[in-house]
Amino acid sequence: MPITRTYLAKRILLLFLVAFGVLIISFIITRVIPARPELLWVGIHARAEQIERARKELHLDEPIYVQLYYYLADFFRGNWGVSWRTRQPVILDIITSLPATLELTITAFILAFIIGVILGLIAAISYGKAIDKVISVFSIIVASIPVFWLGLVLQTIFSIWYPILPGGMRVDPSLVIETGFKPITNFYILDSLIQLNFPVLLDVLKRMILPVITLMMYPLGLTIRMTRSMAIESLQEIYVKALEVWGLPRSKMLYKYVLKNVIAPVIASLGLSFGYTITGALMVELIFVYPGIGYYVGMALLSFDYPAILGGIVFVAIIYSLVNLVVDIIHAWIDPRVKF
Amino acid sequence: MGLFPCDFFKFLVKRPLYTTGFIIVVAFIILGCIAPYILTKPEDAWGVTYDLNKAFQPPSPEYPFGTDAYGRDMLNRVILGSRYSLIIAVCVVGLSLIIGVIVGLVAGYLAGIIGTVLMRLTDMFLAYPPLLLAVAFASVLGRGVLTAIIALAISWWPWYARLMYISVNSVKSALYVEAAKVIGLSKFTIMTKYILPNSLIPVVTQAMLDMGSAILEASALSFLGVGVPPPIPEWGRLISEGWVYVSKAYWITFFPGLVLLVTVVGFNLLGDAVKEYMNPRLRSIVAKR
Repeated sequence: MPITRTYLAKRILLLFLVAFGVLIISFIITRVIPARPELLWVGIHARAEQIERARKELHLDEPIYVQLYYYLADFFRGNWGVSWRTRQPVILDIITSLPATLELTITAFILAFIIGVILGLIAAISYGKAIDKVISVFSIIVASIPVFWLGLVLQTIFSIWYPILPGGMRVDPSLVIETGFKPITNFYILDSLIQLNFPVLLDVLKRMILPVITLMMYPLGLTIRMTRSMAIESLQEIYVKALEVWGLPRSKMLYKYVLKNVIAPVIASLGLSFGYTITGALMVELIFVYPGIGYYVGMALLSFDYPAILGGIVFVAIIYSLVNLVVDIIHAWIDPRVKF
Repeated sequence: MGLFPCDFFKFLVKRPLYTTGFIIVVAFIILGCIAPYILTKPEDAWGVTYDLNKAFQPPSPEYPFGTDAYGRDMLNRVILGSRYSLIIAVCVVGLSLIIGVIVGLVAGYLAGIIGTVLMRLTDMFLAYPPLLLAVAFASVLGRGVLTAIIALAISWWPWYARLMYISVNSVKSALYVEAAKVIGLSKFTIMTKYILPNSLIPVVTQAMLDMGSAILEASALSFLGVGVPPPIPEWGRLISEGWVYVSKAYWITFFPGLVLLVTVVGFNLLGDAVKEYMNPRLRSIVAKR
């Protein structure tokens, strides 16, 4: 049993501590740094009495620790302010846009993981040959690509010059009306499957292709590199060599012995790259007009919608900490050598 | 390590891919240093020009990278942009390095309550995904080169703090540190004279390799409209300016992005080279083949 109860308890405690820290930092950003925090809350077109009301609401005339208390209380009550752009409570906006981002990032991650491990293994077994060099160079380029640039390039090529793939939105609005598609969970793949609405499913998938390709590049590059270097090291191990001499088929050897050594570190590195992917989603969703959290925060940034910017960022940071916790637990579960 | 540069060059020359990376990085640094002096159309580069007759010229011998919406030569703007990318990257990495090294050194050597508090503080900053904290700070601080640097450094230092902490921990039980304690040197002297110089190398190496990522993040910040303000031709800024016109003038976004990509690839290749050079295990595998 590699995962002990104390380890879990410790990690969850740490998660709470970190979430608390995230809130403190965001409190500093919203209430301490700006000269007049109430202006961030009400927007540029607010009248004097609105600003005065906001001052009262935010308790800005009280000492800083009282302000912090009210800030945390508001946060846990779900009172994250009202977005200036959508005129809706920020927390509501975030919850409605979360499924879109999850659909995109999870798909990108699964694809990056599968393709990355396969390419990495291919490179490792043909170590030093041309194919290994090609894959290595590919992985370096792919991990260095500016996500926003790749998104624009793909969009230009595949939906403007050669309009094969739609360049934006989650689903064609006219198709939704025609087929009577109703979002239930807001995970459109799931929703269209439940309603057996295949035209919508096809359209949703088609519109996911470009954003997913853009988004998966960084984790893909990382996975290839990680798999390749771990597999090369593992192929050098004496027991693997022995098996080779003994005449075990290569495919079986790869699957039974090498892959096991590779998976744990690859998952750990994928967890790390989740952070980059979620910030990538910010830009990718903005470019492909894909209404998830990234799009929400991105639009908020472009229109200086502070409640939405900070609410979105705090939310993403907490999700990120959760993902890291899950990844660490999976890592510990797969690799018994991990110590706590 | 004594013959680092000489040995390292011998190591590089045998590997064409790494040599390419090295050349790209050197070229980028030189370009960043001399950019303002080699501009053929400085007024275009600095963004003073406003000539709609020359707007949206496709790439041609006269305008190799085309012109933007205001008729400015993109090549000149991209060249000047390298300077901003270089300055921002150096400042972000340098500033983060200073903060990170101090925090990591103090936390690692003093341990106890101070150490725990400092490292938990570091964890709190690390809880934010890489770019997001910078975005949050930049959105409140306002746009500008200096605010972009500060915002990025705030989100960047915890990585070095953690690395330094690990490095200090591996050094602090060494015999010479024990000896220094026994002869009664003060904690400050031990930290600065004995621990700091011996734990700095991994952190500084990592920092130098991070320049590529710093360039990338700075450009992402500008792309999102919270980094460098117009008319400064920072690469992310240029891509963001061309975004609106992408259907009719691809070159405004394409070339700055391509140059950005090549630069980052260069840094990453060089990073791999240094890692392979410093890791004897990896090198021995290579040598066996």
